[in-house]
Amino acid sequence: MNIYVCIKQVPDTETKIKLNSDQTWIDTSGIKWIVSPYDEFAIEEGLKVKAQFPESKVTIVSAGPDRVVDAIRTGLAMGADTGLHIELPETADHFITAQAISKALQKEEKVDLLFCGKEAIDDGAAQTAQLIAAAMDIPALTVILEAQYTENSVQVKREVEGGTIEVLESSLPAVIAAQKGLNEPRYASLPNIMKAKKKEVKKVSLADLGMSESDQKVKLKNFELPAPKAAGRKLDGTPAEMAAELVKILHEEVKVI
Amino acid sequence: MFNFESLLFLIIAGAAFTYAGIQLKNLFLLAKAHQGTEKRCDRLGERITLTVLNVLGQKAVLQKKWIGILHATIFWGFLLITIGTLEQFLSTLIPGVSFEFLGKTFYSGLLWTQDLFTVLVFLAVLGGAYRRLIVKPAYVTLNKDANFILLFTGLLMISILLMNAFHIMGAHPWYENSLPFSASLSEGLLFLNLDPHTALLLGKTFKWVHMLIVLGFGMYIPSSKHLHVLAAGPNTFFQTIGRSKGMKPIDFEDETLEQYGTAKVTDLSWKDALDYYSCTECGRCQEVCPAWNTEKPLSPKKLISDLKYNLFRNKEAVLKKDYEAVSDVIDHELTSDVIWSCTSCRACEIACPVFIEHTDKIYDIRRDLVMMKSEFPSEVQTVFKNMETNATPWAFSADDRDAWCEDLPVKKMNEVSSPEELDYLLWVGCAGAYDDRNKKVLRSFTRILNKADVKFAILGKEEQCTGDPARRIGNEYLFQTLATANVETLNRYSVKKVVTACPHCFNTLKNEYGDFGGNYEVIHHTQLMADLIQSGKIKPSQSLEQKITYHDSCYLGRWNDEYSAPRKVLESVAKKPVEMKAHHDQSMCCGAGGGRMWMEETLGKRINVTRTEQALETGASVVASGCPFCMTMISDGLKTKDHQDTVLVKDLAEILDDSLTD
Ligand code: SF4
Ligand code: SF4
Repeated sequence: MNIYVCIKQVPDTETKIKLNSDQTWIDTSGIKWIVSPYDEFAIEEGLKVKAQFPESKVTIVSAGPDRVVDAIRTGLAMGADTGLHIELPETADHFITAQAISKALQKEEKVDLLFCGKEAIDDGAAQTAQLIAAAMDIPALTVILEAQYTENSVQVKREVEGGTIEVLESSLPAVIAAQKGLNEPRYASLPNIMKAKKKEVKKVSLADLGMSESDQKVKLKNFELPAPKAAGRKLDGTPAEMAAELVKILHEEVKVI
Repeated sequence: MFNFESLLFLIIAGAAFTYAGIQLKNLFLLAKAHQGTEKRCDRLGERITLTVLNVLGQKAVLQKKWIGILHATIFWGFLLITIGTLEQFLSTLIPGVSFEFLGKTFYSGLLWTQDLFTVLVFLAVLGGAYRRLIVKPAYVTLNKDANFILLFTGLLMISILLMNAFHIMGAHPWYENSLPFSASLSEGLLFLNLDPHTALLLGKTFKWVHMLIVLGFGMYIPSSKHLHVLAAGPNTFFQTIGRSKGMKPIDFEDETLEQYGTAKVTDLSWKDALDYYSCTECGRCQEVCPAWNTEKPLSPKKLISDLKYNLFRNKEAVLKKDYEAVSDVIDHELTSDVIWSCTSCRACEIACPVFIEHTDKIYDIRRDLVMMKSEFPSEVQTVFKNMETNATPWAFSADDRDAWCEDLPVKKMNEVSSPEELDYLLWVGCAGAYDDRNKKVLRSFTRILNKADVKFAILGKEEQCTGDPARRIGNEYLFQTLATANVETLNRYSVKKVVTACPHCFNTLKNEYGDFGGNYEVIHHTQLMADLIQSGKIKPSQSLEQKITYHDSCYLGRWNDEYSAPRKVLESVAKKPVEMKAHHDQSMCCGAGGGRMWMEETLGKRINVTRTEQALETGASVVASGCPFCMTMISDGLKTKDHQDTVLVKDLAEILDDSLTD
């Protein structure tokens, strides 16, 4: 099988986000970048399918500036075979990302399975998986908790709001977007980390795909940091007094009741 | 000159020596075929002194008094009696030969001590049998090997006494008064009414019985735990000198290396093999192991014998150097649970009378599990990731590393104009920087430093985790990434002296960074505080009324031999310091070392609770600590025992800080 895993490189969860000087993007200096955690489930799933069908090839795909090659290498160290880096600017939107990925994959070997995380933890948009599926005109199975594969089909359990589970079956090729719980991503062994340094990462530019930055639909205009959290307030008095005070605050100040 | 008897002896002894020789040669070749390397020939003078003290002097054996005295008696007796055995061999080979030529006085003195020790050894054997069969301490496993050895040692002594007694009865040699015990036995046997000829024949018979048992013993030794009589001496000589030791680095630049850590016994070194050969299965290590004592599957004694039997099972392949065919070191006996249970407290190594180093083996096996196989307790993965991205085992941003001292007069290295004027770099450590409880310790310590006019600065955001957790868990690669980055920073500021409140940072900076080009004078904060008190730079008032007990940190105590500085600090403040039942080098680990801080404790009882119970037994209302991880473990223990409101855990810096008036 030809397995593709699309991943996004995101700031580490502990990063203190700052804005750049004209407030049009975040200040990326000093940020530690990681593979978005849901995408790690996607990589692991790709590798598990390869273990089931040993003839398979797993390609890690990531679109973005040069730094994303590090994320691709992380996937290669976990055991993927090769990498594909699509050059896109920092501020690319989901539409152009999905278009570029789908166009790039048309030039590659036939796609049997395409894994993504259910969302990236930086913007939390949960768009790209479906947009890729739409651009490629193949089924999208999102928020997947469990999957069983045959040569040409897949049966999945999908988490629906409220904890309900949907069981779906689809023919391949299909896009599968991983939810936490799908698997336990492995920790790359040292020999694999060493090997990953030598694996091929192919580079493709927008121009190679017959596209340009003007294909982007959403332009980012202005960023603002959330207001700093106000300090907590401690209520004093008897339980009855405190309850009364709390109700008063919730009603008059916060206006939720 | 030769007769039938000498010929017979020559054949039997020749066969026995050949048999034992072949076995010993195989043991030597087995050790030599190990792939790991180890250099242990430096500091010859110290090695010789240590060997004399501990082999002839039996120092380490005598750490345990009664059994130590029994062993020392048997050992010294063995040396003396072997001279006699040699004489028997020679006189059988060449009739008429004796050591009389050494001079009559000397010879009778020799005989007298031999006679005395024959009886003493016999008594010691009885004592040993009493201990093994009647007292049965839990750490001594009843094994046939040991009983067999005791039985035959006893028989050896009886045969010597009977040999001498009958010889005296038949020949009345001039030295009969030099063998007082044998002579009394001889008198006691007079009722047998033997003629001199028969008596002499019986004397000779018991000489043969003795010689045959000795030869049998010689053949038996190489395959038994009694091999320690040959291996323990060399093992004492090749021991790690001094208490401090660092883990051996792996050279990741070496492209020929394909295996990191120990997957098979042969990945260890000849010294490890010598360790197994030396093990007497005395159980002292197991008796003190916190993992074993809280019902974990790890027994350091069993670890050593499992490794030994693994090596023996793979003998054929190892001797042929067919390493592919050697089976894995992890099997159904030595499971990965065994390997993950260790807290690297080193109680086992301190207790071992023959200087076996258990931790080196455990931690090299972890390297294979982690780096080659990616097999480790799953909760550790997050710890690795945190260390990789944020250079701390906790999930905190590197940006927040200096937040603990935002409001304090604490300088960062990059703000100091002339770093050479500083007395110390204060290494904060991840616990000091991020753990809310430990931040307070660091705040207290910096207050003390300021009061004592000590000039210091911190690295601030430039500090990274020393890598200790990664290294103990087995991720040497990650450790080296962090270590080289830190060394680069420290050397950039030409740091010479470092003080830290974390024994783990202390140990790593002091004993392990040298391998990466980081050579500093590193001291623990309790050492600096003790110095400041002694030199009068700070004057605590000895005013603390509460009963207070100090818990020894393994990485300060057993790893670096520092027991007195923390106690000096404590005594300068507290009126009533008390010791727990286990303290100094016999202290019990809190359970956090060896990377266990970052793992769930799912097997057996909890180590920290067991240690907390020992603290509670003293009736102390404050437990003093010098380590952030001990502090966490004991605090958790107190919560479990529902004593969190009655007993406090405080770092010595806090205790001292509280006692200083402004
Ligand atoms: S270091 Fe401590 S925990 Fe590990 S085997 Fe030795 S005594 Fe047991
Ligand atoms: S390792 Fe040392 S302490 Fe443990 S059983 Fe063997 S000889 Fe005794």
